[in-house]
Amino acid sequence: MENSPNIQALSPGVRLLEARAVRPKTTCISLLLLTPLLQDPAETAVLASYLTHTCRRFPTRAALAAKLESLYGAEISGDCGRLGEARCLRLSLACLNDALALQREAVSVEALELLLDMLLEPCAADGAFDEAQTRLEQRLCLEDIESEKNDKRAFALQRALETMCADEPYGLSRETLTAGVRALTPASLYAAWQRLLRTARITVLVCGDVDAAPLEAALQARLCAIPGRDPAALETVFVEACEDVTELIEEEDVSQSKLVLGFRTGMRDRDDDYAAYRVMADVFGGGPYSRLFSNVRERLSLCYYCSARLVRHKGLLLVQSGVERKNSDVAKAEILRQLAVMQAGEFSDEELAASKKALCDAFSGVGDTPEGLDAYYAQFADGDFLAPEQTAAALAAVTREDVVRAARRVTLDTVYLLAGKDGAPDA
Amino acid sequence: MRNMREIRSERLGESYFEFHHPSGLKILVYPKPGYKAAYAVFGTRYGSIDTQFRQKGDAAFTAVPEGIAHFLEHKLFESEELDAFQRYAETGASANAYTSFDKTCYLFSCTGDFKASLEILLDFVTHPYFTAETVQKEQGIIGQEIRMCRDEPDWEALFLLLRAMYKNHPVRIDIAGTEESISHITADLLYKCYRTFYNLSNMVLCVAGGVRPEDVLAVADRLLKKQAPVEIERKCFDEPDEVAAAYAEERLAVASPIFSLGFKQHIDSPERPLREILLWRVVHEAVCGRTTPFYNALLEEGLLNTSFDWEYFCGYGYAASIFTGETPDPKAVERRLVARIETLQKDGIAPDDFERIRKKLYGRAVMAFNDIDSIANALVSAEFCGEGLFDEAETLGTLTLAEANDLLRTKLDTARRSLAVILPGEE
Repeated sequence: MENSPNIQALSPGVRLLEARAVRPKTTCISLLLLTPLLQDPAETAVLASYLTHTCRRFPTRAALAAKLESLYGAEISGDCGRLGEARCLRLSLACLNDALALQREAVSVEALELLLDMLLEPCAADGAFDEAQTRLEQRLCLEDIESEKNDKRAFALQRALETMCADEPYGLSRETLTAGVRALTPASLYAAWQRLLRTARITVLVCGDVDAAPLEAALQARLCAIPGRDPAALETVFVEACEDVTELIEEEDVSQSKLVLGFRTGMRDRDDDYAAYRVMADVFGGGPYSRLFSNVRERLSLCYYCSARLVRHKGLLLVQSGVERKNSDVAKAEILRQLAVMQAGEFSDEELAASKKALCDAFSGVGDTPEGLDAYYAQFADGDFLAPEQTAAALAAVTREDVVRAARRVTLDTVYLLAGKDGAPDA
Repeated sequence: MRNMREIRSERLGESYFEFHHPSGLKILVYPKPGYKAAYAVFGTRYGSIDTQFRQKGDAAFTAVPEGIAHFLEHKLFESEELDAFQRYAETGASANAYTSFDKTCYLFSCTGDFKASLEILLDFVTHPYFTAETVQKEQGIIGQEIRMCRDEPDWEALFLLLRAMYKNHPVRIDIAGTEESISHITADLLYKCYRTFYNLSNMVLCVAGGVRPEDVLAVADRLLKKQAPVEIERKCFDEPDEVAAAYAEERLAVASPIFSLGFKQHIDSPERPLREILLWRVVHEAVCGRTTPFYNALLEEGLLNTSFDWEYFCGYGYAASIFTGETPDPKAVERRLVARIETLQKDGIAPDDFERIRKKLYGRAVMAFNDIDSIANALVSAEFCGEGLFDEAETLGTLTLAEANDLLRTKLDTARRSLAVILPGEE
């Protein structure tokens, strides 16, 4: 195996992956902290920004921003996402490769120390985070959630998932999250931060081409010295099939309606027949060669966009499209008809070959850059790593029978329409 | 090799090659040894602002419908037999295209079968096929795209601002045109634009990644026939220094008001040199970057959030400083930003700030050299501006504080400004 990453356990619940890119201009370091999805969801969302904009050493946003600029514009960002029903707090750093600094300074070590400061030494005193900072981050977080409404595509998807997974942690709603963010305090934020350090399963990704020894030493000295560690178990509910389809229409002042179809794939965990499902989802609604693109969009001109994607970590298949309201029933019927085509194995050999080729092609280039490696390996923070070449090989081995088997396990769960008000109501 | 020139950067330890192909096409190849992926862009100096033009020898300018460059981009993917996407499906490449104000680019990325994919690219872009029927069908598809963009508040805010700032220049028109303007597009008009702007002397092919120059040239030799060069004259629109309107607003389904504030620049020549563009980046950072008291004060007061951003917006015949974001009070942001600019014009940029900003821009410029898609696209832009790809990192090192202050004081005229606001609520 070429370019195999170097993986090591640093301490209980803390592991390090180092992957090498070819003569890169950057070094990318990510700290991925996984906790159960419903453990402090509001606080964790705010922590992503609180932790990455100040720290004890640089206690104002301006001071920290100036420090980063002087480190050749190093970028540090915080993000609160999810991998199935694990919350993933991600603190990421991208900085200039040491070899390219004007005086060949050790930019990466200094930047990593700064990143560790942010996680481990935030602005806090007497069991509470800084009051003014907390209020600022609280407000910014609320505005962020509120402005998600501006992106109608993403908003419709979020509403569909809330509806579909209402009885699972994954269905955590915007309303619940908003209420939680409104209610948090400097003390609750501090307590959530302590719980995070104690319970998180931590993965560190170092991608680039730098001397890893000083980076490892910094991680050992600080990340592995967190007291009272007790990493939490992480579990995701996989609903294998759905019996009753939920339909929901919500009105909004939009020019183009957004239709989302949520399916259960029948996967039992993130690795269950993954390659077959991945190829199936792609033939169904991946690239321009897919059934949805070539039929729903091109042949019938029903949608400006219509695509499907697999949510591996939760076993979902999601179809998103932009339609005229009056066409939404026809579009839905055609999408389901294309799924039936998949289940009957009536897709062509060319479509299958095109899909496998495109998927393998995409994974083969991942190792060229630290950014590609970082984004790729971050998806494996909740379990075992697989190198990009291994993923590509598994996809290349998928057969027509595999695809049909995967398609036949798919069941429709939820149909959601974000409907424009001025369109004619469905007859 | 024939007509070849190597352009090197000692600082980065990298280089690329420039060829004058006998067909009349300029070809730039940036090999990245060790990379598996390759990325190719075939671009023409032809964008949405080219609504009036003439070739050398023509008496009068030809006027064409707004949105035709973008329309042509869509249509070029079709042919009498397979469309380009169907052909790429056999090679596994991921293909796309985009039209901006001043260029149209066709691109693909791949990890295998590079020559076959390049052959498809060069072939379909040099073989137009338009009929009345296919034009009519596309009017429906692009109509949907135009309607979809109406739901994108940032895009709407930008064009609301451009219409407020510009009286005559076609930069004020949406790149895709309007449903009305594209209804006037015919196959004949498409051929007329194609024959003018898709002449190889008006185009460039840029390739970056794990490829050798000889591979690119071999395909070009096979596919490209010699063309007599054309000389195209872009119309210089008579655009006054004053803005068309100081204020404009629209209503959309957004969470909170979105503003776009532009300062129109007086220009003596249609195009801005790289040095001036880089100086503007320094000036904008100094005015309102993340380290400034201005930004941090407005953030704390609740007048701005992290969506605040800015750009130096320039192209053939237009240049402006544009600031965008969400705010509960757009007019207060406008007042404060104008006051900030005027204060900085009086006091001048501090030497420490200037050095730090320059270091950041240098780091970011170098960090961009990992990415073959940004390299290939930057090669196209640099070529169309008559610059070299490595000039940016080199020029940054030679900028002076005096130049930056001079630009800030003489070119940023706070009186020539427009404020565009998207307000929440029904249209």
